[in-house]
Amino acid sequence: MKTIFTFLKPYKLPMAAALSLMLIELAVELAQPLLMAKIIDDGIMERDMHVIIIWGAVMMAASILAFAAGITNSFLAAHSSQNFGFDIRKHLFEKVQSFSFANFNTFSNASLITRMTNDVNQLQNTLFMSLRIAIRAPLLVIGGIVMAFLVNVKLALIFAIIVPPLIIFLVWAMKKAAGLFGNVQKRLDKVNGVMRENLTGMRLIKAFARGEHEENRFEESNQNLMAGTVKALRLTETTIPILLFVMNLGVIVVLWYGAAEINTGGIQVGELVAIVNYAARITTAFSMFSFIIMVFSRAGASARRISEVFEEDVDLKDSGDMISNKGMNGQIEFRSVSFHYPESTIPVLKDISFKVNSGQTVALMGATGSGKTSLFQLIPRLYDVTAGEVLVDGQDVRDIPLETLRMQLGYVPQEALLFTGSVKSNIVWGKENATDEDVKTAAENAQIHETIEKLPEKYHTLLGQRGVNLSGGQKQRLSIARALVRRPKILLLDDSTSALDLKTERKLLAALKGYTCTTFIITQKISTAMKTDKILLIDDGSLLAEGSPQELMKNSDLYRDIYQSQFGKESAN
Amino acid sequence: MVLLMVAASSALGLLGPYMIGMAIDDYIVEGKSNGLFTLLAGLTAVYLLHSLALWLQNFWMIGIAQSTIYRMRSLLFQHFHSLPIHFFDKRQHGELMSRVTNDIENVSTTLNSSIIQIISSVLTLIGTIAVMLWLSPLLTLVTLTIVPLMFFGMKWITGRTGRLYKEQQLNLGELNGYIEETISGQRIIKTFSQEHRVVGEFLQKSERLKQAGYWAQTYAGFIPKLMTVLNNLSFAIVAAVGGILALNGSISIGIIVVFTEYSRQFTRPLNDLSNQFNTLLSAVAGANRVFAILDEEEESSDEKGAKSVSLLKGEVEFKKVTFSYGQETDVVSGLNFRVAPGETVALVGPTGAGKTTIINLLSRFYEPDDGTILMDGYELSRIKRNSLRKQMAFVLQDSYLFQGTIRENIRYGRLDADNEEVEEAAKLANADSFIMRLPQGYDTLLDQEGSGISQGQRQLLSIARAILTDPSILILDEATSSIDTITELKIQEALQRLMKGRTSFIIAHRLNTIQQADQILVIEEGKIIEKGSHKELLNQKGFYSELFNSQLKGNANSFVPSPEGS
Repeated sequence: MKTIFTFLKPYKLPMAAALSLMLIELAVELAQPLLMAKIIDDGIMERDMHVIIIWGAVMMAASILAFAAGITNSFLAAHSSQNFGFDIRKHLFEKVQSFSFANFNTFSNASLITRMTNDVNQLQNTLFMSLRIAIRAPLLVIGGIVMAFLVNVKLALIFAIIVPPLIIFLVWAMKKAAGLFGNVQKRLDKVNGVMRENLTGMRLIKAFARGEHEENRFEESNQNLMAGTVKALRLTETTIPILLFVMNLGVIVVLWYGAAEINTGGIQVGELVAIVNYAARITTAFSMFSFIIMVFSRAGASARRISEVFEEDVDLKDSGDMISNKGMNGQIEFRSVSFHYPESTIPVLKDISFKVNSGQTVALMGATGSGKTSLFQLIPRLYDVTAGEVLVDGQDVRDIPLETLRMQLGYVPQEALLFTGSVKSNIVWGKENATDEDVKTAAENAQIHETIEKLPEKYHTLLGQRGVNLSGGQKQRLSIARALVRRPKILLLDDSTSALDLKTERKLLAALKGYTCTTFIITQKISTAMKTDKILLIDDGSLLAEGSPQELMKNSDLYRDIYQSQFGKESAN
Repeated sequence: MVLLMVAASSALGLLGPYMIGMAIDDYIVEGKSNGLFTLLAGLTAVYLLHSLALWLQNFWMIGIAQSTIYRMRSLLFQHFHSLPIHFFDKRQHGELMSRVTNDIENVSTTLNSSIIQIISSVLTLIGTIAVMLWLSPLLTLVTLTIVPLMFFGMKWITGRTGRLYKEQQLNLGELNGYIEETISGQRIIKTFSQEHRVVGEFLQKSERLKQAGYWAQTYAGFIPKLMTVLNNLSFAIVAAVGGILALNGSISIGIIVVFTEYSRQFTRPLNDLSNQFNTLLSAVAGANRVFAILDEEEESSDEKGAKSVSLLKGEVEFKKVTFSYGQETDVVSGLNFRVAPGETVALVGPTGAGKTTIINLLSRFYEPDDGTILMDGYELSRIKRNSLRKQMAFVLQDSYLFQGTIRENIRYGRLDADNEEVEEAAKLANADSFIMRLPQGYDTLLDQEGSGISQGQRQLLSIARAILTDPSILILDEATSSIDTITELKIQEALQRLMKGRTSFIIAHRLNTIQQADQILVIEEGKIIEKGSHKELLNQKGFYSELFNSQLKGNANSFVPSPEGS
């Protein structure tokens, strides 16, 4: 929470100015009934036209003054809150960009996105509102009572008696409502969750003809949501009529008591009118209370969520003295590497050692869940090892600046992820200063050039978010082109050719030979693995066998099993 | 009923200040006290009724609004299920989601408050002006001088805020999209070391949003200020002009008090109206988007006289089937083939050849443009869609898991299966061993993205799901592509068992998995170019044998990298 307040610091001055202007408005508003009383008592009752005109003019002048203050307040409040929001967004985004993958696992993607968008907006709007009305409403209540006391102590006493219980009642109701609304939010999340699942899994639901089952599931959560919402809203909507009635009762008592006092001469008509007027203003301010409390409690929740992101420790950092040698050979060595994910204790990799010379092509094979992708992630240092060392060119990756290390890498993930923009911008994404020729070469080698040429705008064809209008295989090839355009020293292909047919894959692998880089390929296909210099066979987190395809054929039973499963017994002999 | 209450509360709201004025004029200024008690008792009753009417109107309106929203959600959800699959193929889930959540929320808030407020604002406004005219036409006219001021002021402001808000929303949308993309693309950003660039682009977009937001917020901030100044001005006018008129004796102090109350009451509804107008507009826009979906054409309902099938033999025939996804070029054309009950058919061909389309047609996700598909001799279009799909089981390329336990996910294949049957299916699919290794076994909760288990394991679960369904027709669309060959070897046996006695369609890139098929259809550019068993096709020495041999030959030469890879 404290972190959020520090973002207010740079805007102390405009905020203070905005608040002072707000106080001017408040003063004018509170003075109005008093001036009114003057007009009635000193003007009308004394039959003095002069007094009426003077005080009338003063009232108008005060109104204009308040207006000017209000307009200036708008500029200052918008300035402070927009900059405040901008600063928070900036720091949040930078913080998130510095997150390691371990950090990312703490927050789900969806929740990070909400924190960076909705929560920041919420805070920004709350600040804007605070500088304008949020503080003003309670001040108006207090000020109204104080002014009433100045006008007539006896009559004001009535409000001093009824207002505090009303405040207690309001706070109680809001607390109760907050609980109910929290409940509503949970039920709403549930409804939206079912809806989201149905939208993404529609094909499967239709395929299994499970529409009715899903509709019942939805019906139930939808009904719960309605019941919860009705309950919460009815509670909050009950407070306003009660509030109104109690305040109005106060006015009636004032009139009754006031009438008696006027008869004895203890009070003047104007004063009575002024107090009735203050009562009306206090009531209006009151009815805003529930709204203000709601806004603040939401802002509090938002601030907490944002603070959580700020307080998250980034565990992968460059240490002080780093060697940043630009040229890299791409020699890779794992020395007794063990690894488990930060949030669990189940070992994913156990004591793995191997060495790959620069320029070699290595295939990683192994059963589903054996730790191939985890091993991959250690090379670009998406995670740090739990024990052992990962060395690139003989240097521990933890001693190489992250940027230096990663700039030499080309990484193609299992699930091809593209960005909104054109085909070209997606390829150039790998290397900002790539020429058109570079882009074309990379696309040709990734076997996607011909497909691109057939697109309506060729390289300038726009892709939707995640490249909706391309097939899975096309997306994969495009993300390969993105890696190739950097001419990386180390190329990591995480089962990136699974959606390609054999012919295309074959051409792609042949084209890769033209690049002088160390290549790691995760693959299930023995035909792919056979084209490599070295195969690493991983089983349940351990390195089961290592060697050239021929060596494995001779020495590894598991490898022979895989071989036979894909080519039949005859061809193995 | 609600309308009656709105009218009552508006009228009672007007009566209150008027009675206060009466009390001041007739009793307090005059110094009379008998009769005052009756008047104040009456006033108490008026206030009580006013609060009661307000409460009742809200109470009922909340019920009405929420059940409307509830119906809207239900309708939308049911409608989604009756929409054809291509509706979802051409839209992003995120965009649909936002309609379901944000747009309905918008409508909801409007129904809750805005409609009542608008009606009561209008009633109060009319009532106030009428009573004011009756009390003192002259003072009314003077008070109303601020109305044109307000009108022009509001017009000037909203003319700007409308445009500015649109700009702000546009920038906000763009920024949010960018955030979403960079968060889900973290892996790429990190490994390509593009953090600086991404932060730079983000700041540009954020800066644009700040600029747009600054002006939008500033101008929007003028509105309440304008209202306050006009309020204060009219208060001052009433006080001053009323005072002068009171000196003439044409009005009383009580009337001045009534007017000060009323002038507040009529600027408030105007303020409300202008505020509610914006919410109302956005709600109407939201409702329109929701209705746009409801107006989408449903999946063509089953033909009249369509049969419900209970047990299919699984004989399938395609006769001259042609289909395109609404584009000019046909995705598949002139497809002819016949599958005997219990046969296994493999579909082979390059990416994009139309293999998945054939499956989509068979399961009636799409209807052919031309030609017919026969199932057990019946035209497919004459079989009820749901009864057809209940006879089929699918293992699709991207296995989709629901939020829930592993057990529930498998049971999705047959809802009435008991725990033993679920575990049996998992064992047959070779999923049992990895499930048992999970901390909670079958009761392990899978979250939204099904993370925590690997791609291949997800595939095993969907195979278990298909096994549990016990279908007449089995469809495996690249079902084993993300499973390693060792595991595949293990489940191959289970799959063989599963395919026995059922008509099965297999799409696979790895040719070794389909050698046992009774029939192999080689598809290229939407046409069947070769057809036959593995042996027959090898003898034909066509596309298939070339593909197959390239694999084998590739093995023989594998240590000599060749430029063409064959």
